[in-house]
Amino acid sequence: MKVAIIASNGGLFDAYKVFNIATAAAATDGEVEIFFTFEGLNLIHKEGLKQLPMPEGKEHFAEGFANANVPSIEELVGMSQEMGVKFIACQMTMDVMGLKKEDFADGTEVGGAVTFLGYAKDADITLTF
Amino acid sequence: MENVTKTLDAKGLGCPMPVVRTKKAIEELSAGEILEVVVTDRGSIADIPMWAKNTGHEYLELVEEGDVLKHYVRKGGKTTDKEETPVKTITNEEYLEIADKGPVTLIDVREPDEFAAGHAPGAKNIPLGQIDKRMDEIPEEGDVYIMCRSGGRAGMACDTLETFGRKNLIRVAPGMGDWNGPIE
Repeated sequence: MKVAIIASNGGLFDAYKVFNIATAAAATDGEVEIFFTFEGLNLIHKEGLKQLPMPEGKEHFAEGFANANVPSIEELVGMSQEMGVKFIACQMTMDVMGLKKEDFADGTEVGGAVTFLGYAKDADITLTF
Repeated sequence: MENVTKTLDAKGLGCPMPVVRTKKAIEELSAGEILEVVVTDRGSIADIPMWAKNTGHEYLELVEEGDVLKHYVRKGGKTTDKEETPVKTITNEEYLEIADKGPVTLIDVREPDEFAAGHAPGAKNIPLGQIDKRMDEIPEEGDVYIMCRSGGRAGMACDTLETFGRKNLIRVAPGMGDWNGPIE
């Protein structure tokens, strides 16, 4: 099973959607690559990923997250990489936002749209968050 | 359920942790062995069977005990069920009695790090993956005892050796995972 994911939003909910599917796929022997673009880059930004915002008006879910004992995004990022999930940061967005490869989780690679398309063209599952 | 080789306690963890932990835990088992996964995540009722189906493992049973869910999964791949293999098997205790009476040939087919952490006195380490290449180190005459952690790898080693015509093999099961004898 080959899974291609585009992460283009930078909120806490977005992060859980992306990393839960990615780790679940990797745990099911899937090959997973995530292309982080625009605000999605927040999800792998070393500092940014520790303080991802809840959607406005949904802050009360913080307690629910704590009670449900879901892992932190930091843990999910580490776990994803440990399980072989490949991170690709979008070069164009990095240029626009003035970000460097070093700003992102270790092991993140940099590429453009064609890099993602080359991977996704024979993927079994393609998801966009 | 009987014959559980390993229990994974993932109680209190939410999605996707139960499957992530299950994957890691089953990697440590041999084909045919049974993993017990103890969780409280109700999403796992659908997730673990689906995970097993897609990863080639056999989902056996769900047991609910109040809020606690126990899943049983048999690791897929080449099995070494006792019914299917003609490999002669003795227990740890039977082996210890034999070893007490005089020198024996014992091959431990676990990985070198497992072997280094503790093994039966006099055991020689030939990891399962090297067994076909190092067959000349295994005597063709006299009883040869084969051991691993739980019996799975020892069974596969015996199968491999038997396909090369060896007939003097005795599996010691379960092996070092449940060992009450002396350790070197």
